[in-house]
Amino acid sequence: MFRWNKVLGFVIVLSMLLTACAAPAAPAAPAAPAAEEAAAPAEAESWWAEAAAPYAGVTIRGISESTPPSRYSAEVLTKQFEEATGIKVEFEITSWDEMYNKPIKDMQANTGIYDFVYIEQDIIDSYLAQDFMTNLTEMLAEKPELQSPDFDFDKFTSFINDFKDAEGNIFGVPMEAFIKVNLYRKDLFENPEIQAAFMEQYGYELAPATTHAQYRDNAEFFTEYGRENDLDLWGTTVQGHTGHASSTYELVETILPTFGVYNWGVNLDTWKACVENGGEMNSDAAKEAFSFWLDMLNYAPPEATSSTWDEVAASFAAGRAAQGWVYGENAAWIATDPDRSIVIGNVGVAIPPLAEGVMEDAESGAGYVGYYDGGAFGIPYSSNNKEAALLWLQFIGQESVQAEWAAAGSRIVMESTFSDPLIVEMDGKVDNYYTKLKEWGPLFRGAPPFPFHNALRGNMDPPIWQALAGEIDASTALDEACRIAEETMMQLGFGE
Amino acid sequence: MRSNRMGWGLLAPTLIILGVMGLLPFIYVLVVGFTDWNVFSATGRPVWAGANNFRRLVFDAEFLGSMGRTLLFTAIVVISELVIGFLLAQALVKEFPGKAIFRTIHALPLMVAPIAVGATWRLLTVPGLGILPHVLDKTFGIEYNVGRHASHAFATAALMDIWHWTPFVTLTMLAGLTALPKEPMEQALVDGANRWQVLRHLTLPMMMPVIITTSFIRIMDALRIVDEVYLLTGGGPGDSTRFMGIYIFRVVMQRTDYGYGSAVSLLVYYFTLVLCWMLFVGLTQIGRQQE
Amino acid sequence: MRRNETRSLLGWIGTYVLWIIMSLVTLLPIYWLFVISARTRVELFGRPTLLQTTFYVENYIKPLTSTVFQRYLTNSLVIATSNALLVAILAVFATYALSRWKLSGSDSIFFWLITNRMAPAAAFILPLYLLFTGWFRIGGATLFDTRIGLILLYCLFNLPFAIWLMKGIMDGIPIELDEAAFVDGANMWTVLFRIIIPLAGPGIAVTVILSWVFAWNEYLFAASLTSVQARTITTGLAEFVTVTGTNWGEMAAVAFISLLPALIFLAFVQRYIVMGLTFGAVKE
Repeated sequence: MFRWNKVLGFVIVLSMLLTACAAPAAPAAPAAPAAEEAAAPAEAESWWAEAAAPYAGVTIRGISESTPPSRYSAEVLTKQFEEATGIKVEFEITSWDEMYNKPIKDMQANTGIYDFVYIEQDIIDSYLAQDFMTNLTEMLAEKPELQSPDFDFDKFTSFINDFKDAEGNIFGVPMEAFIKVNLYRKDLFENPEIQAAFMEQYGYELAPATTHAQYRDNAEFFTEYGRENDLDLWGTTVQGHTGHASSTYELVETILPTFGVYNWGVNLDTWKACVENGGEMNSDAAKEAFSFWLDMLNYAPPEATSSTWDEVAASFAAGRAAQGWVYGENAAWIATDPDRSIVIGNVGVAIPPLAEGVMEDAESGAGYVGYYDGGAFGIPYSSNNKEAALLWLQFIGQESVQAEWAAAGSRIVMESTFSDPLIVEMDGKVDNYYTKLKEWGPLFRGAPPFPFHNALRGNMDPPIWQALAGEIDASTALDEACRIAEETMMQLGFGE
Repeated sequence: MRSNRMGWGLLAPTLIILGVMGLLPFIYVLVVGFTDWNVFSATGRPVWAGANNFRRLVFDAEFLGSMGRTLLFTAIVVISELVIGFLLAQALVKEFPGKAIFRTIHALPLMVAPIAVGATWRLLTVPGLGILPHVLDKTFGIEYNVGRHASHAFATAALMDIWHWTPFVTLTMLAGLTALPKEPMEQALVDGANRWQVLRHLTLPMMMPVIITTSFIRIMDALRIVDEVYLLTGGGPGDSTRFMGIYIFRVVMQRTDYGYGSAVSLLVYYFTLVLCWMLFVGLTQIGRQQE
Repeated sequence: MRRNETRSLLGWIGTYVLWIIMSLVTLLPIYWLFVISARTRVELFGRPTLLQTTFYVENYIKPLTSTVFQRYLTNSLVIATSNALLVAILAVFATYALSRWKLSGSDSIFFWLITNRMAPAAAFILPLYLLFTGWFRIGGATLFDTRIGLILLYCLFNLPFAIWLMKGIMDGIPIELDEAAFVDGANMWTVLFRIIIPLAGPGIAVTVILSWVFAWNEYLFAASLTSVQARTITTGLAEFVTVTGTNWGEMAAVAFISLLPALIFLAFVQRYIVMGLTFGAVKE
């Protein structure tokens, strides 16, 4: 029969041994791309070793998302840092959901699990309102011995302003930044036959859209073109997943501003959203914007209603859309990586189409034309290794590491990176996305300063999704959304 | 010699582990359910709120909607799985060459992680990537879009669950069928009863314990479903596949509303308890009546 | 229900047709998963086809050679196996106790055990997180990001079913056997290991199998309560979904790889499932 007792006994012992080996082993990083040595002069190297001496052997733990910029810092920069300082870095790369959930739990419960966390610029205000983050300006002032000679907050682009409080104290070191631009298929737009056909049908020249009406004409034209020629080609992308936050984001971050509705239509002084109470979320402009966007679903590939930012990039890279609103971090690989894209070399970068007056608003600072996305690393107030983490943050904030990091993840957070020869060379291949990032940067803006970002957006999702699914129209959806927004804000203690 | 202490001693490790991992968190959730607590509210700390959360629940259209949806979903999938599983188990009782292979193949979906099930079905059904919409469109001209049409999403979610869990029902039913005594059935056939009567008056009543056990487990799990559906549709389109498990997930994780989320969880827990209890009583009554 | 009459040809054909159709339905999603794992990213963009002639082995090689992924795989194996064994042992002890002793309150305990599976998971992540990071601290070590933490946690889900199952089996083993052994001078442990466990073999096998599969497949708690060290393969799957494009091919490969150990397990032991469930289910 079964020699259960003997077998059981043996296996029990074996498994006890195995689980006993659950002691943390040295973090093993995956096969990393060959990276050059940090181009730091010899004195700087010894500065790191000296400054880190009291903390050598310490392990700091951090968490971020599984994107190329984060992966680069996790795989390449951690190794360089460990060599220079002897401080170990355990870098947790995880999904978008967990990247928020776990640090929030940690910081709120003060459990000191994470020593540095990814702060997306849309959550920084929520974190600041709860005193989750360490004041880096203050910390460096109090401990000048930790200030690296190669680190200077002033070298960063204006993106760093997103991580300052009202007094100008800085709470995060930027590590990635992109603008959400309008991508279009140069090969299609510059094709003389197609141009002629467009002119014949619409009576004006085919060009990347500057107004919404033009965008619509383009979308309609190319969808028809795709159908007639049996291509899998549609006129536009739509980030319209009917069950994921990404669709709400596209509406409020990308579409509404281009119609002149800023800050999601929320009045930042009174915390109201409905027109009756001084907000703009259900204003005529907003409703026009939402209707326009819903109309675009007619010219988008069928997966649009299942598309998050992820699938939008993939759809465009698969040649399924002639235009699209795509996050900047995708522009580079869509334009250059043959393993992931079939439209390399044919990608054009443009400012999204705008309604009248929006450009002036953006130039004057009253408004903006689109979304400036990105994130920083910050130190939770609950961390037990703040000094070691501060060294890490300065390490990744060095000027010397920026260029290669930019090449690996198409992100730029420092002024000097724009003129780096590596970037200049890449720039030409991506329709000058980097130059445009520099030039247009000031016209774009990050998320509004909401201390309740997640809760607000989470509550606004349902009516927007219902509109995308065709169950209600844009007007009803926005009326509902503004009502819910006001209720949420009041519940959380904002506005009366 | 065999004192009670020995008995408790054997039981102790189980009680300790379950007490720590199960009871303590439950008490915590119980307390939090009576507070007003959102991580990003103006205060950020839990505030005692009495039964406010539960009062809110009663009028929460979103929650009630998700409850109704989940009940419908559970009814559809559990009944389908019970029927299909029973029929397939019948077909597996007799010997035929290759039976073991078919049984193994049939049991495969049980081995797939729920999150992988969701991902697989998403890969099957997303237009542009999936084979199902493509074939349905090109061969039959039917539009099949899980992201667009609520009915498509709901039906697909149900199909996915049936695909995933029917093998479980088949195996338990098979176990039950093989353990039944043969004589009563054969005697009845000899006495002139037809197969349908044998099934209805002999087999089913004798299988009642197995049917009850299986439906309990399936109901408990179907009411809590999250991973698979979340990967497939995220709860959409709109709210058509936002079942209670996903609703709670959104409240707790995305809206960081711990107080309300705990209250909803408690309610769902209590509700499941009552439902199972009612079912238990109901099915045993039917079982007794048959005898 | 075995039929004694000879089966007509139609009966045979019907059976085989039924089972072939069932197998195709069962295998289609898994086959599709495999097809996706064999395609390059760019190939996925074209119109989907059912057949695949090339095999992009990179999708498999990359994860298999990655040390991070290997760690995930090892963690999953250790956690699932240890938990399955732990559950089996504890279940045997507990059901033996419940069956042989009239302990007060045992019915309520039994009932309470079952209810652990009735609560939706999401809200319990917070207290468990606190438990793992703060409430239990030995020296500087907590349960967070450890394998032992998950091994203990999964008992919460696996023990109730195991006990439910084994109780029937235990009750079915006549207490006279115990008594006879005691008369012969055996102590309780001898009875347990020489008599009870061998007789309860199939039930134990089922417990081990089902616990193993559950622990192997669990996602939500593994994702929330581990970080870099104790991460499992199912959590690794979720990492593939990013802002800059999901690598479906590689993700499908990882999903497929994570399927294999479970499949192997299944192939070896599936007849025990039926045998084992028999004992438990009937004695309700």
